[in-house]
Amino acid sequence: MVYPVAEQQAGAAGYPAAEAFEPGAGLVWSRISSRYPWHRRIAALVRAIPVAAVGAFLLWRGGGTLAALLWVVGVLAVLVVSWVAVEIAYRSYGYAERGDDLIVTSGVFVRRLIVVPYGRMQFVDVTAGLLERWMGLSTVRLHTAAAATDAVIPGLPAAEAALLRDRLARKGEERSMGL
Amino acid sequence: MPPHGMPQPGYGVPPGYPPQRAYGPPQMYPGPVYPAPGYRYVPPAPPPPVRFSVGTHRVHWATAPLRAFTIMIVYFVLLGFPLLMTRTSDGAAVSFSPVVLLRFLIVSLVVGAGAVAAGLWGWLGLRFRIEGDDLVVENGLLRRRVRRIPLSRIQAIDVVRPLVTRVFSLAEVRVELAGGEQSEIPFRYLGRRAAGDLRAELLARAAGLPGHTPEAPERPVYRVPFGTLLGGLVLRLPVIATFLLMIFSLVFLIAFRELAMLAVALPALLGLIRAVIAPMVMYANFTVAVSPDGVRLRYGLLETRMQTVPPGRVQAVSVVEPSIWRGPGWARLDVTVAGYAGERQALSSTLLPAAPRAVVAQLVALVFPGTNFDAVPLLPASQRGMTVDRADGAGTDDVIFVARHGWLCRRTDIIAHARAQSVRLTVNPVQRLLGLATVHVDAPPGLVQVAAADRDLGEARAIVESTALRARSARAASGDTAHWAARQNQAR
Repeated sequence: MVYPVAEQQAGAAGYPAAEAFEPGAGLVWSRISSRYPWHRRIAALVRAIPVAAVGAFLLWRGGGTLAALLWVVGVLAVLVVSWVAVEIAYRSYGYAERGDDLIVTSGVFVRRLIVVPYGRMQFVDVTAGLLERWMGLSTVRLHTAAAATDAVIPGLPAAEAALLRDRLARKGEERSMGL
Repeated sequence: MPPHGMPQPGYGVPPGYPPQRAYGPPQMYPGPVYPAPGYRYVPPAPPPPVRFSVGTHRVHWATAPLRAFTIMIVYFVLLGFPLLMTRTSDGAAVSFSPVVLLRFLIVSLVVGAGAVAAGLWGWLGLRFRIEGDDLVVENGLLRRRVRRIPLSRIQAIDVVRPLVTRVFSLAEVRVELAGGEQSEIPFRYLGRRAAGDLRAELLARAAGLPGHTPEAPERPVYRVPFGTLLGGLVLRLPVIATFLLMIFSLVFLIAFRELAMLAVALPALLGLIRAVIAPMVMYANFTVAVSPDGVRLRYGLLETRMQTVPPGRVQAVSVVEPSIWRGPGWARLDVTVAGYAGERQALSSTLLPAAPRAVVAQLVALVFPGTNFDAVPLLPASQRGMTVDRADGAGTDDVIFVARHGWLCRRTDIIAHARAQSVRLTVNPVQRLLGLATVHVDAPPGLVQVAAADRDLGEARAIVESTALRARSARAASGDTAHWAARQNQAR
């Protein structure tokens, strides 16, 4: 049976452009931990310090104090920008468990919204780096047979991540089917 | 249950096809008795098919000498030939003095013995059998490695016959599985008949039928004529442009004696070989047939291939219509099958290299039963779109999602809702300024990626929701694709 074109247009009427990235159906986004931006900031700082130090040292040896100073200022500027950007990125993350699928939204530069049916999940990864572990955070990653799916929820509190993984795995098993 | 004698759809022995043969010792010929007492003539019956579901099997014994031979060739090129050379005053020359010959013979004998041992080792080491629903492959004599593969995970089975092995009537059977590394199990090499038997047996088992089910009969759909294939490969804008570039540079080369133009002409020539000659040889004699156990493709001039893609294994297809092809009304059909990864994906992703559009549409309808992608109404994309690869339109019905795009070369990407892995909505910065979005319906990695670009933001979200909904009901309706034949029989 072929659906009339009108059905899609009627559907469009139900979604004002402003709500295109809302979970819909009265749901609210589950947000990630507020420690996440701090994790990103510390990670940026950890990377920025050696970059600033080594670069400044090399420039100071080669050119002069002014170049070294400019280098440090440049690194600081990047750090400040990322300080703010991380906050925006943090606010862009959200996930919601619906009846048959998980929806995840993310992205500042490119906005994304991914709908992953539970039955299509091949496996769910929970990873935590050194810094993440120290801050009690985990990253949940969903894998389907499509490489493009790439649904990642970073910065979840470790306990919540484990619970989410178990819930997803259970729902996935209930609805699992081949390819 | 329909009354007997009614034609039954789906798998099973169809009317008119000889019933399943009982296997046993060859029948004694009861006919005229020959004069010699005690002598009975046994007519030369074709050898009974190998029943791979019983016992453990090896690949064909000729594999061992073949491998030894290959090693010897490599040895001769790399080491043997240089051994025959002796240094002379002005470089090196081949000479047959006793010392040189003796040296060559000794080394050759040692390497030859090694090659024979390696061939035997490889042949003895590989054993396989079918146990219940699993294909068990054992490798290695000392360190044994056992792989147990559920037959339900088979995505496709290819029978490949490279030129060399065609001489010995051998064939390679490649079993393609879904997912990741080493997802291909090659059997190098089986006898030609045995290869067919193994393929039929594995497919029947995967379909949930008893292993000795005879090979499902097939119905030819289309054979690509030589003219269509050649015309299709040549009549493409990039090919024509490259050809003109080559001619131009050759004229320039001759007219002005400018050797530097070779730097243009040679790459152009190589490009033409890659784009026209290579596919020509590869896709020669391209035949498509359908049988209950899937779509069967046969093609190849030097290396012949027979691919079988079981039903429900095709994830997404793309109908490609280069600008010039729209004149004669031709199209190419690309496909994503979950089994083929990486290089094999590119090699085996063509379901039809060039054919009239009607044939392509017919094949799409066979791959996704009960659909007609031309009848799916396409909603035009937004006029404000700025995508280089111009989005044309997208639409959906209960079974498939269709997205068409392309400026000169038009591509129509089709994915079955039941096969969709996830649905994504993305908005890049340019699109955000214009209030547009792209809807991706994700298929496993492959040539075909379905995306409806430049939809209005609200509409895009509505498409996401409706696609997710349809995918859910399609999945519920189609269920698991394993044991498709057995379930069809149950349903009947």
